Parts: sequence; C-alpha cells; structure tokens
Amino acid sequence: MSTEKDKHGHHDHLREGESYYAARTKALESLFREKKLIGTDTVDRVINFFDLEMGPFNGAKVCARAWTDGEFKKRLLDDCNAAIAELGLRDGIEGENLKVVECTPKVHHMVSCTLCSCWPWPLLGLPPYWFKDPVFRARVVREPREVLKDFGVELDPSVRVEVWDSSAQIRYFVLPNRPEGTEGWDEEKLAALISTEAMQGLDLVTA
Amino acid sequence: MKLQQYLGGLENLGPVNVEKRVFVEDWEARLFGVHMTMMGTGIWAWPHLRVKAEGMNPLDYFKYRYYIKWLGGMCAFLIERGYIDENELDELTAHFLANPDAPLPEKGNKNITDKVVDYLWTGDDPYRDVVINPIFREGQRVQVKDMPSAVHTRLPGYLRNKIGVVDEVYPKAILYSDSVPTDSVSTPQPIYRVKFMTRDIWADIPDTDDIIYNDCFETYLEAA
Repeated sequence: MSTEKDKHGHHDHLREGESYYAARTKALESLFREKKLIGTDTVDRVINFFDLEMGPFNGAKVCARAWTDGEFKKRLLDDCNAAIAELGLRDGIEGENLKVVECTPKVHHMVSCTLCSCWPWPLLGLPPYWFKDPVFRARVVREPREVLKDFGVELDPSVRVEVWDSSAQIRYFVLPNRPEGTEGWDEEKLAALISTEAMQGLDLVTA
Repeated sequence: MKLQQYLGGLENLGPVNVEKRVFVEDWEARLFGVHMTMMGTGIWAWPHLRVKAEGMNPLDYFKYRYYIKWLGGMCAFLIERGYIDENELDELTAHFLANPDAPLPEKGNKNITDKVVDYLWTGDDPYRDVVINPIFREGQRVQVKDMPSAVHTRLPGYLRNKIGVVDEVYPKAILYSDSVPTDSVSTPQPIYRVKFMTRDIWADIPDTDDIIYNDCFETYLEAA
C-alpha cells in the first residue's frame, strides 16, 4: 500500500487500487450514517432511481414519438420540457432547461461538454464513461468526424457536423434520423432501436 | 493556465475510450449515491466538485478514472469543511480494507432519502428573476475575451479570442454559482448561444462547414 505524501502532507490516495477505493467509499458512507447525514436506504434508492426512473429509456420514448407524430416533434423542438410532460415524463436535475436538436440527412448533431460532463439526465440518465473521457472532450470539438470513427460511425463528407458544447444552463439532446425500412413500426419497436450514443450524436440508428 | 480549462482542441491523444457503462466498479455507484445525498441536502453543489477537478495536477487529471477523481474531491471537501475527520476516515478505510464484508452501521436519518429523491425531480434551475438588458443582439459578431485564470470557469479555453455570431439571446438571467470563486459568472446575467465556424477556431483542419455552438455568459463576450 502506497503511503507517499504530496507537498501538503496528505497521503496521495489517488494512487491506491480498486480495493482501497471501495473501502474508502464504504468508510465515507459509514461516517455519513453515523453522523445521520444519510439514510440507510438512500444510496440504494439513488442507484435504483437511475436504473428505473431516469434513464435512456426515456429519451428513446421521446424519439419514437417524435418520429411518428410530426405535431409532437414540432412542440418538442420548440419546448422540450413541456413536450416530454405529454408523455408522462418528468424533468428534474440536470434537465431544468432541455433542448432538442434534430438531425437531418444533411446535418449531423453531436453533444459535448469540454469543461466537465453536462448531460441531459431526465432523458438519458447518467453519462457513460466515454462522454467523461478527457480524450473525447478534447477531440470532439476539433475533429468530430474522427471521433465518430472511434465509435464505428463514418459520416458522408457532404454532411455538416454541428457540435453543441454545453457550458451553461442548457442540456442538449439529439433527435437522430429515423432509419429507413421502419415504415409502420409502432413506437415501442422504434424505441428499442435507439442507443444512448445515438441520442448524443455518437451513433446512427439502423433497423 | 489550467489544462483542465483548455481541453478542447488538444491533439495527439489517441483514440477515445469507448466505454459505454456509467459505472465500471460497484463502489462507483455507491460513491455516486453519497454525492447525490450531498447535493440533495445542500452539503455541496457541482461547482465545489469542479473546483477540485480544475485544481488537480493536470497529468493526474488525465491519469485517473472519473470516479477516482470524485472520491478524492469529495473526501478532501468533507475534511476541509469539517464534516468528517481525516484520521477517522483513514481508520475506517483501513477497517473496511481488512474486512471488506463488514456491515455498514444500521443508523441514519430516514428523512433524507425522500429529500434526495425530491431534489432529483426538482433540480436546481439557474434562472434568476432579475431584470436584464442584454448588450448584444441576435446576428451580432462577438469576440470571446481572454479571461484571467480563475479557480473555476465556464469558458472553454479553445474559444478564447475567437469570433462568433450571436445565434440566440436567451430571455432570462442565469446565475452560475455564487458559492465558489469564478471569473465573474457569480452574478445573474444574460447568456447567448454563439455560433462559431470550426475552421475559424482551427485554420489547419479540413475545409468543411462544420459548426460549434456554445452558450456564453455575457461577461465572457465583447463586440467584434
């Protein structure tokens, strides 16, 4: 176990391993319980909340409705927070001000947060690791087409790329292109095609 | 200059780590639960975490996984503010390291869970009900200022000194944070969506019509 100290005299805990991080996290929760700063079920409830209530299944539902109901799509693009309520979805933390940007055959949208990890939680749950990777954040603004290749996506050079770099109040969400060959599909079947990555512009939806 | 405030545009970094999971270790999810509790009960807010991230050694920032950095930032904050004692935390860490299956104490405040869930559904809208008179208008060319280095910024470094066009003037005042030192985003102010041609930012990239949009606080802009 490393006990190197930094210039402030603190142990440099970052250099420890996974079992250390797990033990320290457990120690933190334990102290919170002792000091009555947390409930015994709070952590489980938060984890469960993002498994069942705020997750990418919400965003997929919104895309499927927008693909099948043009009037809904207009309202969604105009005021996302109001439109998702029509589907019984709630906004909330990291989604107080949502905005949807719509892909077309000529324009591809991608979302980034080069300063941290701003992400539309009510529609997508929590951000996956790739979005928080400093390499993604560094490269996506300057070379978005090359970053797409890392995700296995090759864009036609004639398609314009628009990157939405979040740093203030808005949380961006991408409405991908509806794939060909899905005419007549119901919303549930359409929603099942849509990945989290597609709803931030890092994947294309295919049937 | 703090590298973490200037990530956009760095070259030669190699491929993106296309890890699609949110948590890669069980402890990360539990740490996140503690973090959400701190947010929902007002112990801290995002800017406190970001101050820690922006204050890191930049090489360490690249080296350590996201939630490892959170763990370091959360513990440091809680110790600094006196919520927990460092020795107490170290001793308990050693205890759980030696006894990974030892149970957590069956104590706590049962009201906190509902409070945290309410917070998740309510969020924290940064709009403030104050009158604003935006000084720029839609279609106007603006230049991003080169702000002095700050403890915490919401200005992506790669946009400094660059010229863009105001695409939308947001209608209300936004307060970023008044709880940490920032480069003047601690008062409610207008925000503008500014449209930049990517080639105006980096002239050496392939010639495309690609665009970058960024929501800029008024304090970061001047007329071009």
